[in-house]
Amino acid sequence: MSEYFGIVACFIIAGAIAGGMVVLASVLGKKTPSLAKSEPFECGEMPFSLPGGKLAIKFYLTAILFILFDVEVVFLYPWAVIYREIGMVGLVEMGVFLGILLVGYIYAWSNKALDW
Amino acid sequence: MTPVPITDVALLVPELILIGMALALLLVASRIREAGLATAGTVLAAALAAVLTIWLMPQSSVSGFSEMITIDGYSQFFKVLIASALGLTALLSVKRVDVKFVRPAEYHALLLLAAAGMMFAVSSLDLMTLYLGLELTTLCSYVLVGITVDKPDSNEAAIKYFLLGSFASALFLYGMALIYGATGATDFQTIALVLSESGLGSDPLFVAGAGLLTAGLAFKIAAVPFHAWAPDAYEGAHAPVAAFLATASKAAGLAALGRVCWAVFKTPSNQLQLDKLLPEVSMVLVGLAALSIIVGSIIALAQTNMKRLLAYSSIAHAGYALLGFISGTDAGAVATMTYAFLYVFMTLGAFGIVIALEDRGETLDGYQGLAVQRPKTAALMLLFLLSLTGIPPTAGFMAKFVVILNVVQEGYYALAILAVACSVITAFVYLRVAVLMYMKESPVAAAADPDETLSSRLPLAVSAALAVAALVTVIGGVFPGVLTSWAVAP
Repeated sequence: MSEYFGIVACFIIAGAIAGGMVVLASVLGKKTPSLAKSEPFECGEMPFSLPGGKLAIKFYLTAILFILFDVEVVFLYPWAVIYREIGMVGLVEMGVFLGILLVGYIYAWSNKALDW
Repeated sequence: MTPVPITDVALLVPELILIGMALALLLVASRIREAGLATAGTVLAAALAAVLTIWLMPQSSVSGFSEMITIDGYSQFFKVLIASALGLTALLSVKRVDVKFVRPAEYHALLLLAAAGMMFAVSSLDLMTLYLGLELTTLCSYVLVGITVDKPDSNEAAIKYFLLGSFASALFLYGMALIYGATGATDFQTIALVLSESGLGSDPLFVAGAGLLTAGLAFKIAAVPFHAWAPDAYEGAHAPVAAFLATASKAAGLAALGRVCWAVFKTPSNQLQLDKLLPEVSMVLVGLAALSIIVGSIIALAQTNMKRLLAYSSIAHAGYALLGFISGTDAGAVATMTYAFLYVFMTLGAFGIVIALEDRGETLDGYQGLAVQRPKTAALMLLFLLSLTGIPPTAGFMAKFVVILNVVQEGYYALAILAVACSVITAFVYLRVAVLMYMKESPVAAAADPDETLSSRLPLAVSAALAVAALVTVIGGVFPGVLTSWAVAP
């Protein structure tokens, strides 16, 4: 366990510095609160509000399809890195993989999942 | 890193056939409206997979994909069993799958993929591939349970099954991680080697990992106390899906458990004594089996829904099937394999009758007076019920007899007495249905329903599936040696 000591010490020191700054600023700092200062900073959205309005369920399907294909395509990157080493076998395997992906795409298409 | 030789793909031919058919069905899913076509494709793929599994079987066991996948007698036995269960389930699905909302091609594609996952799991020699196979199966099962989207019950069952199932998968995965932490390996051979050098008790990390792994697998076979999902999932699911879960899924879980027990948790053999299961692992299995038999048998008494009754029956049967593994000998493993095989056919038969009777078959009351109205269906149901009880001329008796014999030979007398005693309780459960069929009048007069004679003619596919199930149930009881000689311990 001794090899983890350094990393634990690092966490403690980092936490102490960050926490210390916040505590010191709130203790020592001069406070002149005003309405404008108490509002959420810069981003322009109210931090607490009830969800309003309706969101089309179609977004859900689009998002799911995007995640599916996006995550699967991520597998192309490691393949591209070692492409020269695995050669023809790798090419065929990636072809099979993309073929299966394509079946999913055609399935989504023929079921009108891509229509808006 | 050396690439896997392309010839290793030959090890996965049955799985590839199922996956290929599933992809083909998905491609035409929006065009197929007839259930028959998708069923034919599924049955064809299942038959081809079963035949090729037998035909491509090498003389001795072969492994590939960096020792992750094997084909040996054990995996071959279960692959044929899973393919048969898939084919029969597809045939039984003809009757009701073409309801609104369910596309037959999608339904059958999911069945095919689930079966491919099971085949993958039973032939894996590595925790990674085992998990991959089981997860493919359960992911498809979640969707299959909820596939009748128009029924609220089905959705509820799917959500319950999904929540508990993903929890069990997480346990399994965590167990894998702990075992990897303790041994530095995920393949069974290396884990067994590390275990034989250091012993089970020496590393708490490994014990915790093995416990979590067992819990995950016990969930798959619905052994008490990991059974809670089964009755709800079976009740809410479309009847053929429930049949598939109760049979193929359970057989695959048993196969995976047996593989892990035999490949990892065996004491090293020496000249004086044969290798056996580690006593600690045996004790865990004894607990699971005893609880499953007791709880499954007793709670089944209180059921009024036929699918729930069969669910508790399947829980009890999981307990009986475990008895063979508990004995720890290869003969015991063969006994469990035989039990799993016969159990699959008799349970598919019983579910087949539920499917054949449609809404009437779902509740116990629906069986009142069945013998008068539909004598052949009632007679078949009686055969399956007798077999599930374990009455002599049927397969159920032989299966039960052999597993109990194996635990007796290894000195687990209390467990054997418990098993026999609970067998008497289950006799009451199953024979209650027989009494309803043969000794009660139907509350609805037969003549009151003019369509009765019309609707009582079963589709050819359902009749064929029932005939196969009945045939195996009879043959398994009369010639028990056929299966025993074919089953090979892992």
